[in-house]
Amino acid sequence: MTAVRFPWPRVALIALVVCLWAPIKLAWEIGLERQQDELRYHGVVVTRQLRDQLSQGLTIGVLAGFRNIVADFVWLDVTVAWEKYEWFKMDALINLVTSLEPRSILFWDNGGWQLAWNVSIFVKDDVVHQPNELRRLHDARFWIYRGLDVYQRGIENNPTSYKLWESMGQLYQNRLGDYYRAAWCYGRASQLPGAPVYLERFPAIMMGNQFAHDDWKAYELWKELWFRLTPAQRLEKAHWQEKIISNIRQLENTLKVPREKRVFPN
Amino acid sequence: MIGRILVIARNTLLEAVRQKVLNVLLLFGLVMIAASSYFSQVAIDQQIKFVKDFGCGAIGLIGVCIAILSVAQLLPQELHNRTIYTILAKPVRRSEFLLGKFVGVVLLLTLSVALMSIAFAAVLWWQETQGLAAVQADYVHTPGWGKSPELTNMYQHDVAQIVNQVRDPQMVEAILLIFAKLVMAAAMAMLVSTFSTSFIFTVITTCGIYLIGHMESAARDVWLSHGAQATFGQGLFLEMLSLLVPDMNSFTIVDEILDGNVVPWWHTWNLLGYSAVYTGVLLALSELIFEFREI
Repeated sequence: MTAVRFPWPRVALIALVVCLWAPIKLAWEIGLERQQDELRYHGVVVTRQLRDQLSQGLTIGVLAGFRNIVADFVWLDVTVAWEKYEWFKMDALINLVTSLEPRSILFWDNGGWQLAWNVSIFVKDDVVHQPNELRRLHDARFWIYRGLDVYQRGIENNPTSYKLWESMGQLYQNRLGDYYRAAWCYGRASQLPGAPVYLERFPAIMMGNQFAHDDWKAYELWKELWFRLTPAQRLEKAHWQEKIISNIRQLENTLKVPREKRVFPN
Repeated sequence: MIGRILVIARNTLLEAVRQKVLNVLLLFGLVMIAASSYFSQVAIDQQIKFVKDFGCGAIGLIGVCIAILSVAQLLPQELHNRTIYTILAKPVRRSEFLLGKFVGVVLLLTLSVALMSIAFAAVLWWQETQGLAAVQADYVHTPGWGKSPELTNMYQHDVAQIVNQVRDPQMVEAILLIFAKLVMAAAMAMLVSTFSTSFIFTVITTCGIYLIGHMESAARDVWLSHGAQATFGQGLFLEMLSLLVPDMNSFTIVDEILDGNVVPWWHTWNLLGYSAVYTGVLLALSELIFEFREI
């Protein structure tokens, strides 16, 4: 009978591979994490608070790397909550979805829209649950600001998204009647990558609006837009040069701008 | 040597393709991808996002099941059928045998991912057709349609958004990253199967490592930032996790692609490189262990 020799050299070799690989692995992973942080991919840390809000199955889903699918399922619950008129549950679910996917513009945009438009308008007209009109208006205002808060947090997480600035501009314009802020939001939106060309004109349109009625500011903004366009852009139909020119001319006449100071003296 | 490895790989692939469990899993994957388009209660842009999430989720989930199950039954089956003795009696090294088996599984994964990706692309194409039809129907009923150039401009913008969302070239990056993750899972299963004596043990242990891998980054952060405050036992546990378990959480960068965010190729290559090197190390360890396993 021969004694079985323990393969020490082989075990030593395995230990050596592990010992050599471990620090390289650590450094590589730290580098990857740093790159992802610089690219603003924060990922999701499963905190106790998040864990408490998710069911066990959904938590396992998040931990197994299926965060997007979990967020999609939670989003479907937002629709269910809307159908059951559970506004605060909707608000909580929107917070949860946006915590799970802080880089999804779709959830921030639709979440803000659900609260600031759908819920707010429903609450304003809901005489069955709230006969007092003042109370209804107060509640409607509350939900507009909840939606606004969603947009603002969305912008904090996605500073390069034009869509959220545009939606916030629409909210200020149509729900809050604040044309100065709407103009500012549209202005910010138009400077971001991927923004549609029509947004460039919105700040000036806001200021010339019958409610804001700040013609001087509108004139400045139209002029600024005209001078910002390159000669090639001025020839493109997409930039609406005719509209810009006609607005500038009209305002120059209305404001009685001296001929020598006009953009288009003739 | 390469010829022998390829013969074993081809044989492994053929055996795997003939297995009912793996075929049923693949069928499940295809059904999951096809079913993802039935989210009629949400808006069209959300539907596209959901289809992308569920499509990639199905590829990842079914892929990892195929990877772990196919590897876990490789060695036990060979031992049970005693075919391993016949193979190793021939001039085939153990390392060649193991590598051949692994290459076979990688080919199987390639085939599965390719099939599921084709189904995914078909569903996305269908979703795009539906989306474009819905957008057109919306605009056709808008007053001023066909006369107002501004409306035409907005219509073109909406169409471009749907098309860009569906035909996102970054989806190639997403599928590649999912594939790399699956190959790593297969390599982990291979390592476990070299010292495990049962199929169930390999499956459960690999699934455990796979799940822990998604939390490895959290353990590493705690170890590196608060390691001094931890007890010796806690510190050792976190250190072992950080140094041995692969970081699967880095691959959740796929979620960013699905959300429409730009992930540069250099970062994707970095992750693919990490996955390739890690797989290499796991295979080297598997080979070292398998070499002195008594058969």
